[in-house]
Amino acid sequence: MKEFGTELGADIEIRVWDSTSEVRFLVLPERPAGTEGWSEEELAALVTRNAMIGAETAKSPKDIRRT
Amino acid sequence: MNGAHDLRGMHGLGPINPEPEGEEPVFHATWEKRVFGLRLAAAFLGRWNLDRSRHATECQHPVDYLRQTYYENWLVGLEKLLVETGLVTAEELATGKATGSTDEATRQRVLKAEHVSTVLAKGTPVTMASDTTPRFQPGDRVRAINRHPLGHTREPRYVRGHVGVIHAYHGAHVFPDRNAEGSKEGQHLYSVRFEAAALWGENASEGSAVYVDLWEDYLESAG
Repeated sequence: MKEFGTELGADIEIRVWDSTSEVRFLVLPERPAGTEGWSEEELAALVTRNAMIGAETAKSPKDIRRT
Repeated sequence: MNGAHDLRGMHGLGPINPEPEGEEPVFHATWEKRVFGLRLAAAFLGRWNLDRSRHATECQHPVDYLRQTYYENWLVGLEKLLVETGLVTAEELATGKATGSTDEATRQRVLKAEHVSTVLAKGTPVTMASDTTPRFQPGDRVRAINRHPLGHTREPRYVRGHVGVIHAYHGAHVFPDRNAEGSKEGQHLYSVRFEAAALWGENASEGSAVYVDLWEDYLESAG
């Protein structure tokens, strides 16, 4: 995760899911603070490929300019 | 088999260097797209299942497996399956020219372009009925059996011999080790949690765990 630039606090437990069977997992990125009332489209703009593979957190509102 | 496909825990492969999200193509060359399509379409001829096809790809010299790219390995597996099942002869593969005709039953199964999306959307379920009661319950301590079969297996090397805790029960799924040999057998499947320190010792990241899906045959009670 560090190679993806992700540093997490020591209080966060990292759980690795090794998909050895045909059971598939869908990563639901944690909703960033300060996004109350955002539309689906606006929230989607915060989600990256790496967030969807669980290697980084979603962008925070300050990373993007809301339109 | 203990092949080069099971890379988990291996060092020396260099840093993870993903392509930038906006510039990552689905395929890196036209032939990759063709191999992908060929392999999917050939699978619908019904001569092999997912586990047998995985095993065909994995059964390679480790040096070849690691030197080749992902879709090159797909192609190697496909060629092996085509010859093994008699769909194509070794000579036809070498010359690229058909020497015989295809039987009517096989022709009937050819996947037509207009059916691809429907067939893919339908999927191929792996859940099965089982007439036995699951041996383990969430919370049970289990050891992943230290076994190194020459045939296909989905029990990764890095968990073998280690103790974990049943996290969840997934129901009965087709057992890959037997399915690869052509025998369809439903077996209880569990998500097992291993503490990272149990697997990686002092090199483990603190406060992390690995969840692995393991079939009942891979597990024994650890009391």
